[in-house]
Amino acid sequence: MEMHQIRYFLAVGETLNLTKAAERCNVAQPSLTRAIKALEAELGGELLRRERSLSHLTELGQRMLPMLRQCYEAAASAKTVAASISTGDIAPLTVAVSRAVALSPFAPMLRELSRALPGLQLKLRRGSSDEAVESLKAGSVEIAIAGPLAGAWSRLDAFPLFEEPFDLVVSETHRLAAHDTIGFKELASETLLVNTGCEMAEQLSARLAANGILDDAAHQAATQEDLLTLVKANVGVAVIPAGVEMSGLRRIKLRELNLARVVSAYVVAGRRRSVACATLLNMLRSADWSYVAAPEHERSVG
Amino acid sequence: MTEEPKLGVILEDLFIRCRGLDAPLADRLQAFADGLRRLRPDFGAAVDAMVSRLAASNAGSAAPKVGEPMPGFLLPDETGRVIHLDDLLRDGPVAIAFNRGHWCPYCRINIDALARAEEEIAAERRHIAAVVPDRRRFAMWLKSEAKAPFPVLTDIDNGYAMSLGLAIFVGEEMKRTMVRSGWDPSVSQGTDDWLLPVPATFVVGTDGVIQARFVDPDYRLRMAIEDMLAALRSAK
Repeated sequence: MEMHQIRYFLAVGETLNLTKAAERCNVAQPSLTRAIKALEAELGGELLRRERSLSHLTELGQRMLPMLRQCYEAAASAKTVAASISTGDIAPLTVAVSRAVALSPFAPMLRELSRALPGLQLKLRRGSSDEAVESLKAGSVEIAIAGPLAGAWSRLDAFPLFEEPFDLVVSETHRLAAHDTIGFKELASETLLVNTGCEMAEQLSARLAANGILDDAAHQAATQEDLLTLVKANVGVAVIPAGVEMSGLRRIKLRELNLARVVSAYVVAGRRRSVACATLLNMLRSADWSYVAAPEHERSVG
Repeated sequence: MTEEPKLGVILEDLFIRCRGLDAPLADRLQAFADGLRRLRPDFGAAVDAMVSRLAASNAGSAAPKVGEPMPGFLLPDETGRVIHLDDLLRDGPVAIAFNRGHWCPYCRINIDALARAEEEIAAERRHIAAVVPDRRRFAMWLKSEAKAPFPVLTDIDNGYAMSLGLAIFVGEEMKRTMVRSGWDPSVSQGTDDWLLPVPATFVVGTDGVIQARFVDPDYRLRMAIEDMLAALRSAK
């Protein structure tokens, strides 16, 4: 496949009109048609069904469209990388990391990124997931790392990185500290602390409330750090994702909880990625996250 | 009813035998292709159909040619280090070898042959680097199996390959045949698009210009090791 063939096909997919697609791509319509026919021959099936001035995507066309768009964006990024390397022109990169996600697993990658791109200015933002979505929309942030984004904008591309189960944390002096696994009933007399900044706070609270171990009067903290400080001081116990780093605390499996969150990298679809953004996204997606917690389907491989 | 063993499992013995043959790379690859055809004529036929479809549409032919510059890249290796084409060229001419993935027996035989070639030529300040669409731990697996001394780089979504015109779609029929046989690149690629690179090797001089090129949509064929070594030796 060649990039121009895919570009033409993506334009037809959006306009559903060969004349408009040709105009948008700035080519003559016969060239566009020829390129798409060549693409169809290579893919081994028809992508378009032509009816007068309108074109419809075939079933194969509909299936291939998102895949080819993703590959096209990766290829366009590769071109940007090649061009920036030759000019040495490295634009600054603004990354948003949700406050509910630990930064430490990403720090080695940010270090490697700044080593590989001398002259790169890195701007790191922390905030709520809503703020991350707003800054992606506004273009003030190019890439965000967060848990599931509620009511996410349809133009966001989400690339799942890893899945973290939720566990109970207690202080080292807590009466439950010696346990590896406990059931809900052993939490009946405990005070629970809730991190309101976590994307999954509502889901988690609902699950705990349904099991009678959380009421409306639970203590609240707005950041993971504050939450852990309170747990350490025995103000209460909390339920947090497995990837969160902690010291002076004990992590205990909650037998019946069975709740996990997926941490993903988010970028805006169709927006041109800078060399730093493209490289960071490749690093994040190629990385071995199994030490955080491997998704089930990957555990048996390699 | 007992489930029949996946083709991939049955073929592991064949793979080990072919990898170990004291013969040129082309003969080892051919021995595997012949063995596969004997065991599963239908699989051989599906491969032939895919290859002739790709050959008829000149897949990969738009890739950069001898005398043209090799476009630069920044790709993470199996340890997470980001590698620049210029980093590799600083040490001498380099052969960049596109492979399909850690699950592909032909690529595993090829990487094994490339690993022995690297051992032979590294002292002459000539090197090899492999590129796969597989994520890091699978790239690491491929490298470890062959004890390859060179980096195995990850090209997520085949982005770099696509920018060179080297990405292909496996096709609906081949996809079904592969899944039935226990080969599923979507696990190692981390994406379900069934795109693969056309296997290709580019020998690049320290000036970044391509000195030799091998591109063939028939993934059972790879650049002959002798040709690659000769091109690396004559490159400056």
